[in-house]
Amino acid sequence: MIYKNIRDNKEYLIESFNYSSDFVVVEFESLFKISLMACYIEGFIDRDLFDRDIYRSLVFNLKKSDDIKYFILTSKVNEICTLEEAIDEILHGRLVLFAEGLKKAYSVDLSKWDKRQVEQPQSEAVVRGPKEGFIEDIAVNKVLLRRKLRNSNLIFEDLQLGKQTRTTISIAYIKGIANQEVLKELKGRISRINADAILESGYIEEFIEDAPGSILATVTETEKPDIVAAKLLEGRIAIFTDGTPHVLTVPRILVEGIMSSEDYYVRPYFGSFLRLIRILALFMSIYLPGVFVALILYHQEMIPTVLLISAAGGREGVPLPITIEVILMIITLELTKESSLRLPKNIGTTVNIVGALVLGQAAVEAGLISAVTVILVSLTALSEFIVPQLTQGIIVYRLVVTLLGGFFGIYGVTCAFLVITMHVISLESFGIPFAWPLAPRDRSGLKDTFIRVHIKKLIYRPKVIARQNVRRQRPPKGD
Amino acid sequence: MKKKIMVLIFYMIAVISLTGCFDANELDELGISLILGFDVVEDKLLITAEVVDPQYSSSSSDTGEGSTVKYVQGIGNTVFEAFRDITLKFDRRIYAAHNKVLIFGEELARSGLITHIDQLFRDREQRESAFMLIAKGARAYEVMGVNSGLETVPANYILDLIKNINNNPKSIDTNIISYMQHYYHEGHHPIVGVIEKKRKNVIDKTSEDKGSEEYELSIIGSAIFRKDKLIGYLNGNDTKAVNYLLNNIENGIITFPIFNSSEEKVQSEGLPTNVSSVNVIKGKTKNDIEINGDKVILKTKINIRAALGELIAKTDVSNEEDIRRLEDACSKTVEVNIESAVKKVQQEYGTDIFGFGMAFHHKYPKQWEKIKENWDEIFKDAEFQIEVKTSIIRTGLINKPTI
Repeated sequence: MIYKNIRDNKEYLIESFNYSSDFVVVEFESLFKISLMACYIEGFIDRDLFDRDIYRSLVFNLKKSDDIKYFILTSKVNEICTLEEAIDEILHGRLVLFAEGLKKAYSVDLSKWDKRQVEQPQSEAVVRGPKEGFIEDIAVNKVLLRRKLRNSNLIFEDLQLGKQTRTTISIAYIKGIANQEVLKELKGRISRINADAILESGYIEEFIEDAPGSILATVTETEKPDIVAAKLLEGRIAIFTDGTPHVLTVPRILVEGIMSSEDYYVRPYFGSFLRLIRILALFMSIYLPGVFVALILYHQEMIPTVLLISAAGGREGVPLPITIEVILMIITLELTKESSLRLPKNIGTTVNIVGALVLGQAAVEAGLISAVTVILVSLTALSEFIVPQLTQGIIVYRLVVTLLGGFFGIYGVTCAFLVITMHVISLESFGIPFAWPLAPRDRSGLKDTFIRVHIKKLIYRPKVIARQNVRRQRPPKGD
Repeated sequence: MKKKIMVLIFYMIAVISLTGCFDANELDELGISLILGFDVVEDKLLITAEVVDPQYSSSSSDTGEGSTVKYVQGIGNTVFEAFRDITLKFDRRIYAAHNKVLIFGEELARSGLITHIDQLFRDREQRESAFMLIAKGARAYEVMGVNSGLETVPANYILDLIKNINNNPKSIDTNIISYMQHYYHEGHHPIVGVIEKKRKNVIDKTSEDKGSEEYELSIIGSAIFRKDKLIGYLNGNDTKAVNYLLNNIENGIITFPIFNSSEEKVQSEGLPTNVSSVNVIKGKTKNDIEINGDKVILKTKINIRAALGELIAKTDVSNEEDIRRLEDACSKTVEVNIESAVKKVQQEYGTDIFGFGMAFHHKYPKQWEKIKENWDEIFKDAEFQIEVKTSIIRTGLINKPTI
């Protein structure tokens, strides 16, 4: 309910906001002695618009409180009837107008705040393809997606999550393509979220994912509208979160980790080549140090003689056992990565130089680390960045494989490989097998897995995800 | 629950630390041996190992200084004992998995190899593909230290010599597994490559230390075995004939005289004229056996595809007839060479190193069971027939000889 008396409303609101300094109440009177009150949060609204379209108009024209809606000269006006609603509106950046003797109030959307510019996301830079990325503002993000999919079937469903933060999140999907079961499951899981705060989409991810204990994520995250559009067109569902540029899509399959939007923008041969390189990088970054340690420690007969001699030459005088040496290098690499990420940019360069010199040259020259190890670990690091979507899993697996390789040789590496493979195959994301189309095998899905065939021939959406409207386009003539 | 987890963690740590790494070897604990030499000295077995000093590969700045390998020796009654004898003289364990050449001293080879080979097969580190060489007229360790090639490691020098047999089949690359196959088969006695230390002309007068450059190694020729005992040597040309009969020819040259009907024969003085050399591109041999009454006939058919490499005769190779004549002359020479080699082996040694016994076994398995015990006697008296067919498929860049 809303009091007829403005003073009561004011007291109630100020009381509700606990005298917070950014809560502003503007009391004014029209020329015809009607008392009015505007409430908003400092910095949340456009003051110029308020002065021009509301304040001035009301002061000059308002004769009767009932006529107030005729003099609010903007289109985004809502009538509200309770003070709780008023508080909610104010918190979402709207201005609420009260008039003396009126049992209702009007919320006017004049919101304006500082936003980051739309720019290229740093983690997903491309050579070919759109360079724009999502920003923190959910409205802008929705527009960015809508501009890719000018389709009335693209639906956004908004809701608010987080008892304290009241964060707006939005579920986006294409009606007629999106997997209905996944959508239902997702809505169910989101409705069960009972979180205190949603500060980033990572919070939601952890609430809705299938295997919270797994090293691998079963929810994809991206900052690029074209990627989200492509995923929606494959039957997936996106979750936008206000306040973060990272948009989630579900369900996720493993091979998304080796895909890039660019694969589809370049020639199919080159796109396929990139895919194969990424698969190589994936395996190298997980297994290379482990296999190396295993060979050097247990299976020297499998290394070509010349290579063995030069490896032995490098090991000569190195004080640490090879396993420790490699693990030390991996950890040092992570240290360098982390510090160059956290430090301010101009100092970050220093870290790079220090890292390169200290780790690379000085350590080898001092005889602390063998040259082969340095080369190997750098190679691992290079490979890791080629598959950014899987980095988090790779780092853990790499350490495990290296340890097992050091303790049990190739036997340990093989065991690690089996365990990892079994784990990947056992995962599911919203009822979709994570390892599809490898396990279960699907020939039509393989057309867009290790290689990317001509777009003309990608007739079907991933069958396991898009259950309805599976055909994308007519097959090319003559095929 | 907590206790259970603690116990589990304890077990995991125990599993990892107790069972793992039991056979781990850090590279700086291994002495990578590339050549092993076996000798008999005063009724004891002497093993010489050439161990790579890996430091030479890491210090790229100063090359040439110091030796790239070290030699260690161990003495014992058995191979195993001799290997263990090394451990108290040398700081690193001899790691034999990269050992690619086994050299046996002549004295040891004459007294029989087979007793010493057991360890080489039983040990999991030894390679069955290691090549065998017999140090002709010397001890194994006497030939091991010589390196007159460009390879920094002497073992690689020897290994490269063995690989070069592909280009010049005057030697034979027998590895230990094929030696054993032949040892166990009555119809095929082993034949093994030889290695010899030879004094060479010191041409480089600028070099300070001529000592190491005084000798070179040569692997021309082969050693004939009866079972596991060395009984004699073949020279390079006879070894080549053996390689033809064993179907080992992939490359190599044939030099043959051309007898023109009208012109003079090969000159008796100076370098010969009217000769030609061809390079074999592909050789294919088929051995066969025929029983004629109670006589055994050894038959061989050889097909050679060759490219003309040199022609010192007045012949025009654009002319097809002349090529025919060259081909016939070439076939004739090969026939004569092989016949003489077979005859020599039959008469001097009487052991079937050509594997005709195997052909017999394949063709007449039942008779073989009866005669295999005295196959060598039969082989000695068997008649040998050979048919060689040569086709020259390339003639080089010029048609007319420069002569």
